Parts: sequence; C-alpha cells; structure tokens
Amino acid sequence: MAVRCQFESNNDIGVFSKLTNAYCLVGIGASENFYSVFEGELSDANIPVVHTSLAGCRVIGRMCAGNKHGLLVPSSTTDQELQHIRNTLPDSARVMRVEERLSALGNVVACNDYVALVHPDLDRETEEIISDVLKVEVFRQTVASNVLVGSYCVFTNQGGLVHPKTPTEALEELSSLIQVPLVAGTVNRGSDVLAAGLVVNDWIAFCGQDTTATEVSIIENIFKIGDGNPSTLQTDMRGALLESMT
Amino acid sequence: MEKYNFKRITVVPPYKDLINIVLSKTQRKTPTVVHKHYNIVRIRGFYMRKIKFCQQTFHDKLTAILTEFPTIQDLHPFYCDLMSVLYDRDHYKLALGQLNTARHLVDNVGKDYVRLMKYADTLYRCKQLKKAALGRMVKIMKRQSQNLTYLEEVRQHVSRMPSIDPNTRTILLCGFPNVGKSSFVNKVTRADVEVQPYAFTTKNLYVGHTDFKFNRYQVVDTPGILDHPIEEMNTIEMQAITALTHLRAIVLYVMDLSELCEHTVEEQVRLFQSIKPLFKNKPLMVVCNKTDIMTLDDLTEDKQHLVRDLAEDGIPVLEMSTATEEGVMKVKTEACQRLLNFRVASKLNTKRVQDVANRLFVAFPKKRDDVARPPTIPQSVQHKIEKGTKRRKLERDIEEEQGDDYILDLRKEWDLANPDEKYDKIPEIFLGKNVADYVDPNIDQKLAKLLEEEKLREEAGFYHFPSDDEDEKELEAKLTVIRERRMLKQLEAVDKRNNNRSIMPRSASLASEHRGRKRKREASEGPSEGAATRSVSRAHGKPRSQSRDQSGLRDQKMITKAKKIGRKAQKERNHQAKKGEGDRVILNMMPKHLFSGKRGNGKTDRR
Repeated sequence: MAVRCQFESNNDIGVFSKLTNAYCLVGIGASENFYSVFEGELSDANIPVVHTSLAGCRVIGRMCAGNKHGLLVPSSTTDQELQHIRNTLPDSARVMRVEERLSALGNVVACNDYVALVHPDLDRETEEIISDVLKVEVFRQTVASNVLVGSYCVFTNQGGLVHPKTPTEALEELSSLIQVPLVAGTVNRGSDVLAAGLVVNDWIAFCGQDTTATEVSIIENIFKIGDGNPSTLQTDMRGALLESMT
Repeated sequence: MEKYNFKRITVVPPYKDLINIVLSKTQRKTPTVVHKHYNIVRIRGFYMRKIKFCQQTFHDKLTAILTEFPTIQDLHPFYCDLMSVLYDRDHYKLALGQLNTARHLVDNVGKDYVRLMKYADTLYRCKQLKKAALGRMVKIMKRQSQNLTYLEEVRQHVSRMPSIDPNTRTILLCGFPNVGKSSFVNKVTRADVEVQPYAFTTKNLYVGHTDFKFNRYQVVDTPGILDHPIEEMNTIEMQAITALTHLRAIVLYVMDLSELCEHTVEEQVRLFQSIKPLFKNKPLMVVCNKTDIMTLDDLTEDKQHLVRDLAEDGIPVLEMSTATEEGVMKVKTEACQRLLNFRVASKLNTKRVQDVANRLFVAFPKKRDDVARPPTIPQSVQHKIEKGTKRRKLERDIEEEQGDDYILDLRKEWDLANPDEKYDKIPEIFLGKNVADYVDPNIDQKLAKLLEEEKLREEAGFYHFPSDDEDEKELEAKLTVIRERRMLKQLEAVDKRNNNRSIMPRSASLASEHRGRKRKREASEGPSEGAATRSVSRAHGKPRSQSRDQSGLRDQKMITKAKKIGRKAQKERNHQAKKGEGDRVILNMMPKHLFSGKRGNGKTDRR
C-alpha cells in the first residue's frame, strides 16, 4: 500500500523523513499531521517513529543514511539530538556520527539492508564506516550520470526505482549489483528526484501528494507492496504505461 | 485539447448594434468642439481624425471576428467536416470572405475621404465630407448584416459543441436510432445524455469520459443512423458519419435484438454491412443490447445465424443490458482493452516509444553470489489481523484535543532499559565538561589506550623519516638558505608595513617648521638604501612639487612675464571690484519671462 502525503503542503516528503525496516525518522514540523500519517500507518509494525532534527534542520531525510542495522548522521548533529535518537531507536540499530566532507549523507548514500550505492568521491573512511555500521556491501556508483545516488535512486530489499533517464544497460548493471529488480520511473507527477518524493521500506511506501495513479501503481509493483509484483509492469501494465507516456 | 476550444469566440453583434457601437465610440473618443473661425488646417484635422478613427474602429472589430473564427482548412479533418456538415462549409467561408472584403472597402473609403478632405475649404464642406465618409462606411456594413447574424448563430452553436479531442483514446458508439447508445454512455461515464423512448433523441455528438488502467478514455455518443445512401442522409446522421470517418477510435456497433427500436435484426445487420467501409483500420465490436428482453439465444434460427455470421468474420459480439447493467462493464473493459492494444501496436515502432523504452523495462537481477537477501517484514504486518475499527490515538488527535496548549513531547517515545528514567533531567554541561563527551563509560580507558598506541608508534619511529642520501642533504642545505632568506624578507616586510601610514594633507603639515628650507638635504639626495625605503617627504606629508604659480614655467624671465600678464588681466576686474573670472555675475537682474504674465499656483520660478 502506497500512501500519499505532504509535509506542510510540500510534496518532497523524502526530504523530511527517513524510513527503514526498523525505525522511521520524521522532521519536526509546525503541526503533527505529517508525523501522524507515519504513526498511523506504521502502528501495526511496532517500529518507532521518531521526531527529530539533525543539526537543527528539519531536512533530515537528506542528511542521514541508514537501514535496519544502523543510522549514520553528519558531524554537525548536536549531542542532544544524537542522544535523543539513541534513546529512541531500538538497540539493534547502531547510531554513528560521521566526519564526512559531503555531509548530506542522504544524498550521497542509497542503501537497503544488504547493499549500498555511494557517491564516487566519498571518503575511504566513511565507506568503511558504512560497511561496518550498516553491514552492507558498498559500491561507488552513479545513476544516469548523476553522482548524487542517494537522491536519484530509491531501493529496498525487494525492488528499486531509479532516475527516469537511466539507460537500459545501466539498469541491468545496477540491478545485478543491488540484487533487486529495478525500473526507471518518476514520482510527484514527473519529478526525477525520487528520494525526495518517495520513502519506502519492505512493506509500505509513502509518496508525495502529486504522485499520479500510474506512478503509484509502478511503485507498488516494483517494491512488492501489497499484492504488487514487478513482472506485472512488463505484462499487464505495459500497454497502459506506454499509452500514458506517449 | 486546448486547440479545439471554440468556447472563447466573442459575441458577433448584429449590424445595428455594431454601427451604434462604432459611431458612438467615434463620438466619444474624438474631440467634439470646432469653430468656423478656426484655421482651416485645424478644421480639416478635426474631421480627418473622425474619419480615420471610425475607419480604424470598424477595421478592428472586423479583424477580431475574422481572427477568432476558425479557418476551416486549418482544423483537424474531423472538425473541418463537422463544420461543413453543420454550417455549410461554403456559406461559412463566404461569410468570412465577405467580411474580409468589407474590411478592405471600409479602409478604402476612409483613405479616399481623408484625401478629399484636403480640398475642403470651409468647415461646412469638411463636415459634409465627414458625414459622407461615415455614411458610406455604415452602408458597407449594412450589406454585411446577414453575414453577421449567420456568424453569430454559428458561434452560438459551435460554443456548445462538445470538446472532442480527435487524437486521444476514443470509444465511438453507432447504430440505429433508439438502440441504447446514449444509455450506455450514461452508464459508463458521468455524462448526462438525454434518453427517451423515441428515435433521434440524440441530435448532436455527445462526449463523456471514463477511466481504464490509469488512462482516460472519451466515449463519443453519436446520433442514430438510418440505412439509406449517404446523399440522402440529413445533418443529424451526417454528424455520426463524420465522427466515424475521422476519429481514430474503437467502434461499438450497438444492436437491439428485441427489435423495440422498430428495426428488425436483418435491417440492423444490413446497416452494419453498408457502413462497414467506415470501420476500416479501426478496431470494431458488435454489442447486442437489451438482453433483459431478448438474448442472442432466444432469437429465431435465421436471425441468430445473421448475428453469428458477424462473429465469424472475427468481430467480437458481446451482449449487455443497459437497463439491468448486466454486461455493461464487461463491454467497457473489453472495448478499452482492445483499443489500448490497437493503439500500442500501432505506436510500437515509433521514435516516441523508443525514447521511453528504458522506462518500460524492468531489470531483473542476475545472481552474483549465493547470499540470501530476504526482506525484513515484521510478523505483525505479515499476518495483519483484522483489528476492527479501533483506531490508535495519534499524535495529531492529541494536538487537536489540547489545541494551543499542546507541546511536543519528544521523550515519550524513548525506549530505555529503565522506563522510570525517561523524564529525568540530564545536564548538558556538568562540572565544566560536556556531558555528551562522557557518555561512553570506558572513554578514559579508550583514550589511554589510544595514547599508548601513539606513543609506541612514535618510539618505533613511525613518524620519523630517515634521510641518509647525499642528494637529500644537499637539498636540505639549500632549503635552509632559502628559509633564512624568506625569514629576512618577512622581517623587512614587517618593517615596511610600519612605514605605511596615511599621507597627511599639505595644509596639515607643520608649515612654520619648514619655512626656511623646502626639503631636508637627505630627502633630496634620493633613495639611499634600496627601493625598500620610501621618500621621507611623502611619508611626512610635505609638498612634493613647487608652488603652483610657478609650475610649468621655464625660468625666472618667464615667471615675471606671466605675472605681468596676470596683473594686466586683473585690471578691468579690479574696477568692477571682482576677484577674478570666477567671481559671480548676474547679467540680467530681472529676466522678463519671470516677471511677465499671470501667476498661478507654483508659477514663481518657471513661466
């Protein structure tokens, strides 16, 4: 099930939230509407939904990277924020501050519970930390010749969505690296910054309010949410997709 | 879609109104007062302006009409034919053409009379010429009165036409009158087409929209067609024929097996055969309606045979009942699916599809190792138990309850080993130290360990790079020299910086001190210890050059000469008690333009 929502009438919800299989971080807004969308949808999964800021900013989705094993936050995170996150997250998730020049970790790291794609210029040390804390294999990659892999692709343990201009060969290469089915697509009525418009884990997806029905159905199918199945994209839905795109 | 919006055409006024509008506008927007004692040029200009203005207004009005009405040859063939069916193409073109001619005529009349105005020598003659010009223009327009009323009718009709997009996904219904085409449209779309139990209820094209697989389909309802040659068809039927000819659509041929529409099954099949050429290159379906009264199996043998024959030609025959809604959705789905398949097949090898090919492609991974990467989905989500309607109280509900008193409680979610400690106060700074730095209980040990390690490294010479190479020693010596020199330069620069004070103006200098001698001797000796030192005179703000009354003069002789000339030139001014040529002079103490005429408000300075 993919849920459409907005953060203070902004469709880039991925900027203000971070969702993994073990926890969910939500930026502190003026009202609780956005938070409660996550709270309500994740209530039967029993994972913590955490109000937080990082370095006093609410754009937490772009500043941190994480999966069910851990969370990496930029060096500018304050001690109090770090303590709050540590206290709220389950003990299985390690929280670590990273001294990295590219401090918007969410933009430079894309990961699921097993694999991470990172910005080609990321520090060697950060790479090591990522593989230790998040327990993932790390690959330096670009997506459709964009170095900001964290912004232009989103993937979980079940599937992934990448920048709409990614060529077919690159799709295949990425897919065999990440070991999940991938498709090139958009969110929020044609936006190519996927990570800004979409947050997803293994059983639920949240996307911006502008996302069209076609985009939602692609998301549900590729991430195997509900009864979704990636192969339907090439069989049942192919005609409809082609018709809506041309 | 926007391209075929005829709703924006402005109203075409009838002839009388048009004349009134233009003439009153001329009256309002041009000057109205003229006298016969005026200069004749002025009088001519007055009337010329009226003629020109009137002509321009007519011109603008007509141009607006001509540009707003669509030109038939620029339209999509569907609209082109539809307009020629509904409004008689020739008549329409003629009307627009005549308006165009009228515009030219009006322009010419205006031009001619402006030229004639040159020869008018009195106000009376000018006025007569103006009257004649306006009269002729009005007369030209009067001849267009029928065209104007016709165009207004066309406008009213066209603006009510449904906005059918000829290029999008379309389902087109056709068949005899009263077989249930409109009721089908009413069932599958939100359109509200009138349904009545008599023939030709639908007299126009109607359009409704329906959704199928994330795309929108337009369903076009056409008036019924009777089975007779195309020349004998009336306007209502011709609209259906036009739609059938030009819209790229799936055609649903609706049949009424119960024969309540007063046409037998045989007749209906015959009509199908006779308009079959119009179905060429289009997907086609036959839909048998009114199954609540008569199904296909209930028909007599030969009638059944007729319908079955159609199916044998590869045309799918479906049954539905718009009264009981049985099979309606099936027909819609089938039609949409067939249309979709048809459109996809026709597009498949075009460039536009190849451009989005990467987005239609799903990359499935090739296995690169034997590691299992299962998804992590909590048990509670996997076996989602129906919890009934009980909803958890969300943060938002609490916020709404408490209103302005609401304060976000961050600690509520804390998951601590000992929940009692949740709301304990935690100091940020304690005994002058940041508490967060000591969160790790073993921090001191860790630090000690690190220091130990570092020490060991240092002892092992980890940071010491031995250099026993001959070249390297030489290099080292050279480096020392360079470093020393650089150090000296730096010191020198510091010294220089101390000299760099602001320059004092001449007047501020201590004049009395230096009266006897302009410069000190050493200052005039020039730079002694290299370029680094600056001229002392500058640094102390002393005049650098000689006095200005002597500058540029070669020698004493020249100086005395210059002085003499100067004194002579001053003589005249001395008489007038003037200081020099820079002294202010007021040539005219009472300028006439400031002291003549009436003074109004604020007219003291400028008149």
